[in-house]
Amino acid sequence: MEFKDYYKTLGVEHDAPAAAIKKAYRKLARKYHPDVSKEKDADARMKEVNEANAVLSDPEKRAAYDQAGRGYQPGQDFRPPPGWDAGREFSGREFSTGEAADFSDFFSQMFGSRGQGRGATHDFQAPGNDAHARVMLDIEDAYEGATRQVTLRVPSADGQGRTRLENRTLSVKIPAGVREGQMIRLAGQGGPGIGGGRSGDLLLEVHFNAHPRYRAEGRDVHVRLPVAPWEAALGAVIPVQIPGSTLRVRVPAGAQGGRQLRVKGKGLPAKEPGDLYLDIEVVLPPADTDEKKAFYETMSRELAFDPRAGGA
Amino acid sequence: MGERDVIIGIALEEACLTLQQLAATGAVDVTWVQHRIEEGLLPTVAESEGEWRFSSATLTRVRRMSGIERDFDAAPELAALFADLLEELDEARRLLGRGSRR
Repeated sequence: MEFKDYYKTLGVEHDAPAAAIKKAYRKLARKYHPDVSKEKDADARMKEVNEANAVLSDPEKRAAYDQAGRGYQPGQDFRPPPGWDAGREFSGREFSTGEAADFSDFFSQMFGSRGQGRGATHDFQAPGNDAHARVMLDIEDAYEGATRQVTLRVPSADGQGRTRLENRTLSVKIPAGVREGQMIRLAGQGGPGIGGGRSGDLLLEVHFNAHPRYRAEGRDVHVRLPVAPWEAALGAVIPVQIPGSTLRVRVPAGAQGGRQLRVKGKGLPAKEPGDLYLDIEVVLPPADTDEKKAFYETMSRELAFDPRAGGA
Repeated sequence: MGERDVIIGIALEEACLTLQQLAATGAVDVTWVQHRIEEGLLPTVAESEGEWRFSSATLTRVRRMSGIERDFDAAPELAALFADLLEELDEARRLLGRGSRR
């Protein structure tokens, strides 16, 4: 297990007062905030910063970390001295399973909560907590359904009653017709119950990967439809590929770029399926040969067309 | 059940989370949620059998607001304003086809 230098992560001295740690944490939390940061590794850095702050902002954890980590360098193989935490009960802020799962094995080994599994000796029952995770899908998966591997970091107790985080991989069948932001329930796959109580559920929140062609809005799907100028001007029947099928769509004569065509019921499947919206884009052939340039010059002469007429 | 067995997922309605589920999965107290609903900082999407129900969008909002309140000692109203702006940003990114970062 690699030793982590939390002071270095936050950029503070080992004797930094609590106020300096808080200030350093806030500065980095702003820099790596996953919603707004433009840093490439913002997510990973934010997790490191959160973990360092979770230890250094808590006097009990900080004291234990200082004691056990004396003399270690970042990345060095770390083994806490036997009995280093005897008599310590960490009473600081509790972390949710989701937050703790973001922390490193180093954190988990040092500060994993105690007493997991002790419920078996109690004479009461309680259901386990529901867990929550995100699953990234392609929009094609929402059309046709898919089976996806979901890896979770879940706490489990070792022989000493200390919690370790372990990877757990589930194969999940995603039903067709799921939408962005929708929840999928996996019954009994959440936190374990106490005293024989039922396990909680795992709630997977669906998000779609960005796609070069498709964009979903609820059940409706938008697709870019590039057309040649003559197809837009004269009308045409154009094949449009959507997941699982090819549609033949009539583009009306005189169609302009930016106009939308709606194909009813060809969005995401459901009892009331969404619609497919085709966003027309008129694409010009390049004038990259003398012959093609001559075509454009002929058009210029023959059509006498001013696209800016009427104040456009 | 073996790790490789396929588990069938059941798609839930949009407003599916109870108050307790929202609080537990958002790592906040139930009272934290109740206070912010009373102040109009969190939306209740629907009511089912006399119980509030919440969507996953509200769960994302809870996480963002609680993170801002905790990390920066921010007032709930300021955290809600920040969440409003992030939701606008999500929408703009979605329209640009770049997807949400959350």
